[in-house]
Amino acid sequence: MTTTRRDLLRFAGGAAFGAFLTPAPWRLITDTALWSENWPGIPRPARGEIRTKFTHCSLCPAGCAVRARCVGQQPVALAGVFGGLCPFGVTAHHLPYHPARLRQGPVKEAAAAVAAAIAKCGPRERVAVLDLRPGRTASWTYRRAMAGVRNGTYIAPAQPPVSVNLANARTVLSLGAPLLDGWCSPANAFAARDRFRLIQAEPVESRTASLADTWLPIRTGSEQALALSLAGALDTRDAAERTGLAERQIVDLARELKENGPALVIDCRMSQNVVALNVDLGSWGRTIVPRPEAPVPAAWKTAAPPAELAAVPDGSIRVLLIDESAPGEYLPWNEIQKKLVSGNPLVVAFACSREGYGQHAQFVLPAAAFPEVTDDLPAAVDAVAPGFRLATPLIPAPDGLVNPVDFVAGVAGLAAPDALRQRADAIHASGKGKLVTYADGKSAAVKEVKADEFWKALNAGACWTGDAAQPGRAPGRDFSPAAEAAVPALTAVAAELAIADSPLMSKVYQESNLRLGPDRVAMHPRSARECGVEDGAKATLETSAGQRRVEVMIDSGICPGVVLVAARPGFEPGQAKVVRI
Amino acid sequence: MKRYGMSIDVDRCNGCGACMVACAVENNIPPAHQGANDRKGITWIRVYRVDNGEDFPDRRSAFVPVLCQQCGEHTPCASVCPQQAVDVDPATGIVGQMPERCLGCRYCMAACPYHARYFNWWDPAWPAGMEKTLNPDVALRMRGVVEKCNFCHGRWHAAKQRAAAAGKKDIDPADYVPACVDACPTGAIRFGDLNDSATAVAEDARKPESFRLLEKLHTDPKIYYRSKKDWVKEIASAPRPGARKESLRG
Repeated sequence: MTTTRRDLLRFAGGAAFGAFLTPAPWRLITDTALWSENWPGIPRPARGEIRTKFTHCSLCPAGCAVRARCVGQQPVALAGVFGGLCPFGVTAHHLPYHPARLRQGPVKEAAAAVAAAIAKCGPRERVAVLDLRPGRTASWTYRRAMAGVRNGTYIAPAQPPVSVNLANARTVLSLGAPLLDGWCSPANAFAARDRFRLIQAEPVESRTASLADTWLPIRTGSEQALALSLAGALDTRDAAERTGLAERQIVDLARELKENGPALVIDCRMSQNVVALNVDLGSWGRTIVPRPEAPVPAAWKTAAPPAELAAVPDGSIRVLLIDESAPGEYLPWNEIQKKLVSGNPLVVAFACSREGYGQHAQFVLPAAAFPEVTDDLPAAVDAVAPGFRLATPLIPAPDGLVNPVDFVAGVAGLAAPDALRQRADAIHASGKGKLVTYADGKSAAVKEVKADEFWKALNAGACWTGDAAQPGRAPGRDFSPAAEAAVPALTAVAAELAIADSPLMSKVYQESNLRLGPDRVAMHPRSARECGVEDGAKATLETSAGQRRVEVMIDSGICPGVVLVAARPGFEPGQAKVVRI
Repeated sequence: MKRYGMSIDVDRCNGCGACMVACAVENNIPPAHQGANDRKGITWIRVYRVDNGEDFPDRRSAFVPVLCQQCGEHTPCASVCPQQAVDVDPATGIVGQMPERCLGCRYCMAACPYHARYFNWWDPAWPAGMEKTLNPDVALRMRGVVEKCNFCHGRWHAAKQRAAAAGKKDIDPADYVPACVDACPTGAIRFGDLNDSATAVAEDARKPESFRLLEKLHTDPKIYYRSKKDWVKEIASAPRPGARKESLRG
């Protein structure tokens, strides 16, 4: 028998056909998939011992307790201790790796420039520190440093003079405050939510408005007029005209607040009129109480008092040091600029990125980001008792960063080592309150804990809670008149963007339209028609902050005449113009 | 036999997006690629904003988190997959996806009536250094495969291991909670065994205001939604286009 070429071809064809009936090709597909899954371009998660650490989130003043799941020393997931966290808190462990993160800066040059500028300061010129989150131990160090500098001024945004007790409220009227979206600790707000009726008054159907029992769509900037009307300090007809509500609605609202008490009225900053209205409603000591503060060492009491920016004379600041490392309320740059001397002022910002005040500063020095930072958190607006909590680092800060407290203390020649420890010792020495340890959920009276153990526990993520103060005498019933400004044809209102957030927040900005992303604006269809733009159109937005290119989104939940702008903190509402490109 | 499911209180969801990013953190989903949008992005759970179709000031919105509905019967994605890359675990009822078997044909995406499956259009990439924060319990997926919510299966395995180490046969219910449930600041999402009538999620499923998405398709989803607003329930049943003025974006 001879083997022909035809036999060979038959054999090869048969073998190829037969191979398809074996597992080999299917196995090859799976193996190819497995190989490609592990190619060098795909990162491999690190492995190691799983540990749990506790700390407090320092991204906003709420200071939520955080449980970190770590692989070795590296946090890989963050969760809340008393409930969930906001999306910024959940992804906070990514911040050190943000592409816009500052890692190096001209520290020596900045120090030399500050020293030279201070030496040149005229008799009426000031050296000032702007602290976006007052009430911290770092704030006290700034105040002490400024007390030691000629014409030193410590500037901080106005803080709410009172705390709110949501647990006691049966009716809550929110005048534009995002109560359920970051105004206070989410755990507190949602724990109390089922017990109160929420009425939200604002021109945009915000997240809080969408969850409110009643949404009162009022005109932009008419919140104070509504507060005055409810207190009887403004005629109802006048208030109805300014807010766009019916007179009947305002009368019914006033009656509900009185009859379904204890009532609580809030706005973003707990303004004087709102506090006075609460006092008027009999809420003092029930739903609002004086703002508590943790004890400080007696020697610190000689520190410079906080000043509001408006109280600083125009054209008087020669050197301005801005601590942006602990984000808080941003003051509009236009207002800050007015206070700087006209000739060659020096502005130094301590920040994690250049997105904030760094855009206007001569020097931007890199500061530690959460969770590399060691800082304490002042009492949140919904804390009725004083507290002391530390944001302790979960990972070490890289080399090259600057501690703004050390920098400012160095400028003033102030020796302030271990200020946090000094404050913890002062709190311990007061012997008041209790220490709550998150790891085991136990609490102990401070009197029963030694000073070293107290400090150690705080660094391991524990929290000191003091005794709630007696409300004392209620503040006077002083109302300031609401300014009646002309309403522009189109008003820009900010939907705030964080200065720095995790790259994963692109899930909510870019891969879904859940939050208004950067360079986007939202308008009512009628306003869009008047501006000649439609959904998805490219346009230019002109506001007091300048001109920029945006994409228009149509949203019929927005009051006509309002354009919702995704803006960095510090954006001031005001006249706007949208022009189609 | 377990039948894990979820209940979502739509009236309590404020649309913050914590569940979306917590899911991405837990399951090693990369940040959005430059070219990604709402169609090409990967969000195993996506919160849609829906509204009643009225104009200002009568407009009212609600936020509806949509994830894989973990269909119980006639699971559309499993029945069309040519690679058996989708399976329903009889022990837990979880519809699992095996990316290493996936060919990337996207039949399952076309079959899924809930648009809860996502295709990897790009290689997974993180900013420099951020790969250190990846979860070691979850394997990364490559470009060209489909992925979806699996009720954080990595957490289920970890809970099983802890139970085995403690000499227990069953896992402690508190030990196995998906990342979105853990992260939700409003407490809108609950998770548990639907076969155990004592669990909160089983109780929620029995409530009169409870509903499931597209029930008319008889896919027997294990995600139960709750809302007291009729217009939200109507949207969930997807009426004939044009019958109402509902709109949604997400």
